[in-house]
Amino acid sequence: MKDKKFLLYLGCTIPTKQYAYEISVRAVLPKLGIELVEFEGASCCGFPLKGIDRKAWIYMSARVLALAGQYKLPILVLCNGCDVSLRETRHFLDKYPELKNEISEMLREEGLELNNNVNIVHTIEILHDVIGVEKIKASIVKPLSNLKIASYPGCHALRPTEIPRPENAMNPVKIDNIIRALGAETEDYPDKRGCCGATMLPYSPESAIKTSAAKIRIMKDYGFDAAVTSCPYCMEMLDVKQDVAKNLLEDEEISLPIFYLTQLVGLSMGLKPEELGLNLNMSPVEDILERLEV
Amino acid sequence: MALNVQALSSQLVVKVKKVVGLQQPEYCYQCAKCTSGCTSAKVIPEYKPHLIVALTKLGYIDELLESGIFWACSECWKCSEFCPQEVSPVETIIALKNIACLLGVKPPKAIQEMAKNVIETGYIQNPMEITTKDFELVSRDELGLPKIEKPYKPNEWKKKLSLRFRGVDL
Repeated sequence: MKDKKFLLYLGCTIPTKQYAYEISVRAVLPKLGIELVEFEGASCCGFPLKGIDRKAWIYMSARVLALAGQYKLPILVLCNGCDVSLRETRHFLDKYPELKNEISEMLREEGLELNNNVNIVHTIEILHDVIGVEKIKASIVKPLSNLKIASYPGCHALRPTEIPRPENAMNPVKIDNIIRALGAETEDYPDKRGCCGATMLPYSPESAIKTSAAKIRIMKDYGFDAAVTSCPYCMEMLDVKQDVAKNLLEDEEISLPIFYLTQLVGLSMGLKPEELGLNLNMSPVEDILERLEV
Repeated sequence: MALNVQALSSQLVVKVKKVVGLQQPEYCYQCAKCTSGCTSAKVIPEYKPHLIVALTKLGYIDELLESGIFWACSECWKCSEFCPQEVSPVETIIALKNIACLLGVKPPKAIQEMAKNVIETGYIQNPMEITTKDFELVSRDELGLPKIEKPYKPNEWKKKLSLRFRGVDL
């Protein structure tokens, strides 16, 4: 493991709402030899502005990269949306020199220097590629035996494939490898490479809910005991809004424990549920905790 | 009189291609692979990405803006992967969203709210108090998380974005 020190970029949803992700990252990664450095001055990656003005979104992302560049550290990105924003911005700035000049000028006015070489690492990558499955395996004190867990990377961990993504779009296996390393089982299922529907929420909340509910139904049909993701938006849709889906579609079967990847790794390392923010998961995670006797 | 498709297609396609991105609506031959795999089309039957691309090619901007249907896109990028012509319908759809805003057509309320918050605070929302499983209201502080850092020079992006968003009444 070469890099041990990472600049922690939280984005906008994790530090304002999805606290369980931040809590579990801060609890788990240092125990696996990663030093997290606080990112002063960071703001949203601009993803919510993309539909209104794509250039404004690129400017906001380029700003985050410029600020990150000052630390001369690789940046750890937790949210799938932030990851796609920062990497797509880097791609566009490399591809279009005119855009690059324009954005550089905007940043220069603010005393910032455009930095298109920041090393971007996503949660899936830090666990699978930086720390590595072997090291995770060696840290396990409580194997997640007799559990079948679905990997749900989320659409922006896979696509667009013009830019490097944390998982392979056609055959995502990194989360699967981690699930197996923790002692649980997993398998492929239809729509594993699908989308939770979060971006549809502003247009049609009901359609968005139907989309995430369909995912949970498929996972249950395939006999999964739980699902794991690494995206705060997928968590919002699959976990936080699970009860809404249950009520809207009047289907008691829409009930499945949903975990963040870092929460699952933390449990297997013997961390207590409250150290991993598991009291904040709205889905029935207590079913799994009981089975694991934690 | 024959329909002059060439003349019709030029204006809107040129506008769409001017938005930052990799949109290539002109290559679409209407195989509808995008629609068959689309996340949104599965739950919103009237949403058909191949049709949006066709209307864009034909220059039907008013019809597109009036329907606002492009806001239904999940931006999951499946259509981009499955398109045999490298059209990437999602890119055209994002460009249409941008063009709509530029022409003063308001995006859905929740998008306006999110954008307002990002411009105002640098975050999608202010740090919220959330409920635990036992219905207890907790803040970042109570969860032992460090205080959120103040973003770097917020007035700079506020100034720039409000200039850029002149056409959008957020």
